Amino acid sequence: MCFVEKVCVLGAGSTKYGKLADSIADITTQASVAAIESAGIDPKEIGASYISNVFGIADKQVHIGPVLMSRLGIPDKPSLTIESACGSGSVSFREAYANIAAGFYDCLIATGVEKVTHTGTEWTTTYFAYCSDFFYEGQAGASFPGLFASMARAYLTEFDATEEDFAAVAVKNHDNGVLNPKAHMQKKITVDDVMNSAVVASPLKLYDCCPFSDGASSVILCSEKFAKAHGGDYVEVTGSGRGGSPAALQGREQMTTIPSTKIASEAAYKMAGITAKDVDFAEVHDCFTIAEVVDTEDLGFFDKGQGIQAIREGRTKLNSDISINPSGGLKSKGHPIGATGIGQVVEVYDQLTGKAGERTVKDAKVGLTHNFGATGASCAVHVFQSV
Amino acid sequence: MSVEEQMIENAKEGKVLTHKCSSCGHLHLSTVYYCQKCGSKGFEDSIIEGTGSIATYTIITVPPAGFEKHTPYAFAVLQLDNVELRISGFMGGIATPDDLPVGTRAKITGFDERGIIIEKQ
Repeated sequence: MCFVEKVCVLGAGSTKYGKLADSIADITTQASVAAIESAGIDPKEIGASYISNVFGIADKQVHIGPVLMSRLGIPDKPSLTIESACGSGSVSFREAYANIAAGFYDCLIATGVEKVTHTGTEWTTTYFAYCSDFFYEGQAGASFPGLFASMARAYLTEFDATEEDFAAVAVKNHDNGVLNPKAHMQKKITVDDVMNSAVVASPLKLYDCCPFSDGASSVILCSEKFAKAHGGDYVEVTGSGRGGSPAALQGREQMTTIPSTKIASEAAYKMAGITAKDVDFAEVHDCFTIAEVVDTEDLGFFDKGQGIQAIREGRTKLNSDISINPSGGLKSKGHPIGATGIGQVVEVYDQLTGKAGERTVKDAKVGLTHNFGATGASCAVHVFQSV
Repeated sequence: MSVEEQMIENAKEGKVLTHKCSSCGHLHLSTVYYCQKCGSKGFEDSIIEGTGSIATYTIITVPPAGFEKHTPYAFAVLQLDNVELRISGFMGGIATPDDLPVGTRAKITGFDERGIIIEKQ
């Protein structure tokens, strides 16, 4: 691969995640303006926008890009909307990254957004299931909690794990989310709260599941040259990897691992010239508690089957061995699916530029984002370094 | 008939239509057009029995639209007998994990608006 430019993140912003009253166009713009102001740039310096969104149709607005550009006063600038299910944000970030690295643009905006909570649980459960391999999964009544519950059942069968262990993931991420003013669910919970919550798809209970959220997140990407000339806080993107997995769970020899995570992270580590041991903190895709356990193994932080032991021993808590999901993760911060992958980059930017407040990971130099679509059928991993 | 229609017709007979790669022998469900191992396009059709054991499953209590009247039900992944191949489907009448331990013998019995139907043997 030949790169013309080093790529940096120069600014970042998010709306609060949760049930939001404002329209999808409004929240897309609010997050974008926050990112522009964080970067201290003039919108006219932006060459193009990358918008990640899955269900714009739910709020009567697809083709959001031109609406955003018009509101930012740059209607002549191009935009592209990217859909990769719950992994849309990281895939969009990757496309923006690649365009700067290749020298096509000096400065881009990547904004992710989702607005679905007004449609209710049945609509969201039904439409999210369209992100599965529908002929084999959605059509047979599989919901997303159901697909991850199938992975959880496989994990419980294969390894020495309990449902209480999964619950500990939720407890940890809520502990972190309490410290994040943008989080959807800013409240502490206990293992008993999880165990006593209603079963959604056994063995997963309501508090094993991330909430359906509205929200938007935005980052400004630029070349290193642009960042240095401009001044202000920035972080460098040192690794970028993507990967794929068989679309349906049935296509995987092991249902306790997500192949795309391994492929994407190996590529990102190689590009960054690091190993998993060098990562100080990671924002990983914990759409369900089981997912975080599997992610931390597939990313190489723990051996297969040992992720659950790490949770039990508190090794992934804030400022322990490796801080996993200091933002609260999808579980507590919330999961506006088109925004999530960009929201992870916002957290890494805030952490590495000293803006994370009470949830700061001490002495952090290297942060990682891991975001996938569906049951990991698509995945992107990025590595960031402070400058 | 499209590949999905062929899969459906076989499921209604309790069978699974598979594609065996002519070059490397790797076995796929028949909805695959190019070999996932070697990339070859040549396949031999092979119809196998839809019998096996439950590899994993979930019991769904918060269903997508259209499944309310069937709730609770299981979505299950069936490990097919004698081959390295799995297929998923809908299982009615499953209310608690005690109803369906992993490894339970099961078989494909049909196809309807609930997709591929799997029942305990």
